[in-house]
Amino acid sequence: MARKPQQTTQADKNRSDAQMTRRTAVLGAGGLGVFGILAGRFYQLQIQQSENYLALSENNRFNFQTIVPSRGIVRDRFGEPLATNTLDYQVELIAEQIDDLDLTLLQLADVIHLSNGEVERIRRDIRRRPDFVPITVKDHVDWDDFAALNMRVHALPGIIPKAGEGRSYPDDGLFSHVIGYVGKANDADVARDDDPLLLQPAFRIGKTGVEQAADARLRGKSGKLKVEVNARGRVVREWPDPRDAALQGEDVYLTLDADLQRFAAEQFEDDSGGIAVMDVMTGELRTLLSMPTFDANLFVSGLTQADMDGLNNDEKRPQYNKVLSGGYAPASTYKMAVMLAALKSGQIDPDRRIFCGGKTRVGNRLFHCWRPEGHGPVDMRYALKQSCDTYFYEVSQVIGVDAIADMARRLGLGQRYGIGIAGEKQGIVPDPEWKRDRLGAGWRMGDTLNASIGQGFVLASPMQLAVMSARLANGTKAVTPSLFAGEELTPFSDLDIDPGHLGFVQDAMWSVCEEPGGTAYRPNGLGLTGLDMAGKTGTSQVRGISRAERASGVLSNAQLPWKYRDHSIFVGYAPYARPRFAVGCVVEHAGSGAGRAAAITRAVLGEALRRDGLGPRTDAAVDSTRL
Amino acid sequence: MTARFEELEGLSSKLHQLNWLLPVLAGLLGLVGVMAILSANNGIWRLGAMQHTMRIGFAFVVMICVAMTNIRVWYTLAYPAYFGALLLLVGVEFFGINVNGSVRWLQLGPIRIQPSEVMKPAVVLALARFYHDLPTWRVSDPIGLIGVLFLIGAPMAFVLRQPDLGTSLLICATGAAIIFLAGVSWRVIGLGSVLVAVSVPLVWQFGLRDYQRGRILTFLDPSRDPAGASYHITQSKIALGSGGLSGKGYMQGSQRQGGYVPENSTDFISTVIGEEFGFIGSLALMGLYIAVIAACIRLSLQCKAVFSRLLILGLTTTFGLYIFINLGMVMGLLPVVGVPLPLVSYGGTVILVVMGSFGLMLSAHLHTDTPLPRSD
Repeated sequence: MARKPQQTTQADKNRSDAQMTRRTAVLGAGGLGVFGILAGRFYQLQIQQSENYLALSENNRFNFQTIVPSRGIVRDRFGEPLATNTLDYQVELIAEQIDDLDLTLLQLADVIHLSNGEVERIRRDIRRRPDFVPITVKDHVDWDDFAALNMRVHALPGIIPKAGEGRSYPDDGLFSHVIGYVGKANDADVARDDDPLLLQPAFRIGKTGVEQAADARLRGKSGKLKVEVNARGRVVREWPDPRDAALQGEDVYLTLDADLQRFAAEQFEDDSGGIAVMDVMTGELRTLLSMPTFDANLFVSGLTQADMDGLNNDEKRPQYNKVLSGGYAPASTYKMAVMLAALKSGQIDPDRRIFCGGKTRVGNRLFHCWRPEGHGPVDMRYALKQSCDTYFYEVSQVIGVDAIADMARRLGLGQRYGIGIAGEKQGIVPDPEWKRDRLGAGWRMGDTLNASIGQGFVLASPMQLAVMSARLANGTKAVTPSLFAGEELTPFSDLDIDPGHLGFVQDAMWSVCEEPGGTAYRPNGLGLTGLDMAGKTGTSQVRGISRAERASGVLSNAQLPWKYRDHSIFVGYAPYARPRFAVGCVVEHAGSGAGRAAAITRAVLGEALRRDGLGPRTDAAVDSTRL
Repeated sequence: MTARFEELEGLSSKLHQLNWLLPVLAGLLGLVGVMAILSANNGIWRLGAMQHTMRIGFAFVVMICVAMTNIRVWYTLAYPAYFGALLLLVGVEFFGINVNGSVRWLQLGPIRIQPSEVMKPAVVLALARFYHDLPTWRVSDPIGLIGVLFLIGAPMAFVLRQPDLGTSLLICATGAAIIFLAGVSWRVIGLGSVLVAVSVPLVWQFGLRDYQRGRILTFLDPSRDPAGASYHITQSKIALGSGGLSGKGYMQGSQRQGGYVPENSTDFISTVIGEEFGFIGSLALMGLYIAVIAACIRLSLQCKAVFSRLLILGLTTTFGLYIFINLGMVMGLLPVVGVPLPLVSYGGTVILVVMGSFGLMLSAHLHTDTPLPRSD
């Protein structure tokens, strides 16, 4: 580069101008080449691969939505719906489509009236579920709010108003204990069941009762709906395909008779307890009622704290399924088992009279008959008719508790039948083996005496009492209860009790209801011409009576607080001659079994027979209904 | 008064002499932009299309004003403009506004400007001026090269720090083009190429931020980042590809209606045109750009001064690079670097800079007989 500095000449300038022009041409050609590459790429994308990209763009536009099937209806034996679906306006949101969650929730809260608690719940759900899963904002939105939201929904991306179905239970929950209720699937449900339906916010899974037990049948099959969506997931158009339609859940029929259950509930009025009405031949349950009931609809719509407190603080425990899960000392209704055991043993002559002086001494303990002055000399039939405790104290000492327990089990106590819904309690039929296993203590003669009158350790549910009553009435088969109609039934096993002995007991039970002097005798009986009933009262003590109290006179139920009063118990069946229905009934803390429980059973049995086409009513009954 | 009158007469005759091909083509591009933006916003005029129309109109007036101004003024302002822009870049370093992790903006009173955009024409002005003053025989000697490398390197360094890899490479490429056009010897070109080849791995290792490396890696292997940048490119390719030969029809694009392609009124505006007007539409758009570039090159060839010719060619190079980078990015040939499609994309600064550049070119062409002193 040892060039001398020099002035730029015109020649230089011309030469460099020409060079610049040449190089401009080079660059221009290069640029044209680059544009050629771009054009080639356009050709590749828009002509050669166009079909691929067209297909991809179609996929972009279409999406499949899961359609939640209609849940099957639960119906009674005549088809009357006990759990149905009603139109329900719901709002859902998809978190990944929302830019400003706070603002959106604020606007939503204003339009559809969300409480702070609900907003908190929504935020929690958003945190716990994947972003693309729709989340329930609110169910049961009223029409005005729903319409207002629909006006504004274009400004609220990710918010989806839906007109769906909600579960509804008629009669304010008269069948709540049996039908149960549905609710949102919780984490445990999702872990157990991989059906993708469970993730749909509109889906409800059976939580209790029939809803839970028959969930698989009621649920149905989910469907698909092809929808055209934009990038924000907003549905622009729907493309329904009949092949993808949701399959509605099956209807489930129960053996219950809704009208009879309604009638039974009316008989209970404000009392607490349970009643089961059973077909003595087929075991079908016509009524399975626990009182008081609770409104299952509350559980579907979401319970408020006040509702919850109301249910939990009620001393009548509305949520407790007394008819299946209640354990009550069957009291004198257990005496049929003792009688049958005594007859079977051959050690007791039923005609031989035993003297009742009002109490029996065993060792250093006194056992009292319910009648302090005693019944005098009583034979077996009269002992049941009058419910003389002393007679059974004496008999039980002869035949022993094992014979009694065996007979009680034959009659259906102390066991579960598996009627198909959760909650059945086994109850207790005590014997020495049971006491050793459970309490680790030896059996005493006093235990036998207590068991002989159905007190002490003996526990049974109203449904078990109905089964016992049905087996006594049936006489030949060990009937078991059933709740779901149309199910294949396994043939009942033989009852294996001497028919002569049963006839004797049935006659004694008839005398209780239909002979003057019987503990449940009413001149008008069932109130149906030519039809008699048989039964047995029971008065279940819930407290011990001290020696001091005996001395000063046992307090009457009316003098005691409600929760210390005796349970009123009754078992029975009708018609006596050709039995159709058997009943087990417990009315909590209602005093003597001859009172409330007998009255309710008599009314319900009469109604059941009348509804079955038996009758007609006697003149007296017609008169009394007129009054 | 007479002087004033002569001035006015001069103005009207200048307007007459102005090469109107370039302004007409620029206006056409602006119109294409209005149409595309209108479609991108579902036909809602006030969402973008209206603003774009007003900006194009305003920038058009600015362009004519710049063109009417004597080239001597721009010639004199070349270095002050360059150093002013450099000062703004330094200002960004200290007072810049952080947007999405990059510091690119500067708030000056009520307006917010992007000094790196202003720097693009300023570098061209300075380089043109530099070569105009440099004796031809010094173009390839160390003094000339060092001066030029400083003029290019200083803004590049500041822009890289923002960090804005795209703009810094654009400045570098434009500068390289001007050096080439100014007549640097092939020996230097060869040496420079070797230097670049050697420095690329070094820059990769030490000069780039993680996210910049990430972007380039994603571009090379899209499966690295399925939901982010490559989603963008995939959707963009679907939009273009599904347009086919003749497109889905104006306002009929499903990708656009669905809003699948983000930024489709700014950097990804060509997906709207490609989807709705197909391959034919894409070619027509490129044809329009080629016409603009050809018109610019013709202007440069008709100029006499080195300053004017290099100015026009440098600005044209920047313009062409915008188009190449933008379309390459939209079609998945280049990484996503955020370069708009000039005059069509929504966005004010770029329109003003591009129209201003056209004004400079027109001014250089219009006043080509004005002698520009050469200070050797």
